[in-house]
Amino acid sequence: MSHRQAQFNQHVLVDTTPMPDHIPKVEEIGTTSAPLMSAAYFIGDRCKAFNDDYMKCKAEANGRGELECLKEGRKVTRCAASVIKDINTNCLKQFNAHWECLENNNHHLFECRKAEMDLNQCVFDKLGLKKTIPDTPENVVPVHLRAKQLYSRFPGPQW
Amino acid sequence: MGVPFEALIPYGIIVAMFGVTGIGLSATKYLGNEGKAARWNRDTWDKVMMERDLRITGTLRGQYGGVEAPKGFEVSNPWKVEKRIF
Repeated sequence: MSHRQAQFNQHVLVDTTPMPDHIPKVEEIGTTSAPLMSAAYFIGDRCKAFNDDYMKCKAEANGRGELECLKEGRKVTRCAASVIKDINTNCLKQFNAHWECLENNNHHLFECRKAEMDLNQCVFDKLGLKKTIPDTPENVVPVHLRAKQLYSRFPGPQW
Repeated sequence: MGVPFEALIPYGIIVAMFGVTGIGLSATKYLGNEGKAARWNRDTWDKVMMERDLRITGTLRGQYGGVEAPKGFEVSNPWKVEKRIF
């Protein structure tokens, strides 16, 4: 029941025991929600193989995935960290502009298409990562490339 | 035939009281969101991510674009506990 929040959850347990020494260490990602949202499609582009590998491992582990897929999980974390590090070194200005726009617009991607276009362009030029929305039909323009964003505050031409 | 000033005192009180609530509420909203536009229509995922932001930056609306997590972040993840009914 992963979708259900605990009811009457005043009780919170913080377990400060670190991971045992025989498990290899990995740096956790300290990026917060808006920058992660902004970088999500680039993480997906570079790390698709690792992410799919991890999900497959968990699906095949019969509920013991948290223990048995630690190796795959570390790969997922390292790959995502590498993407965010690369974006920060190469496209810091566009990245900051985009996630600050997202943070001011309830994390709605359709409100920030201009900043997103700049970021996509920069990331494609410098890192070669491209935003693709999975399972978009061939014969339609993907929603992030449409000039008009019907539901945004300013629905007219975005750039 | 002038209106006696006593007739206007209640209107002054009404305006002042609505003003106090309005200014107070907007100030609370502004300070609570650190000057950013408020989040709305948040689902469970958004709430969980905002709690994660709290663990990283110290505030619910704080944001950080770098990679390095603060010290102790990997062990500060709270487990939600509930009492068993049966």
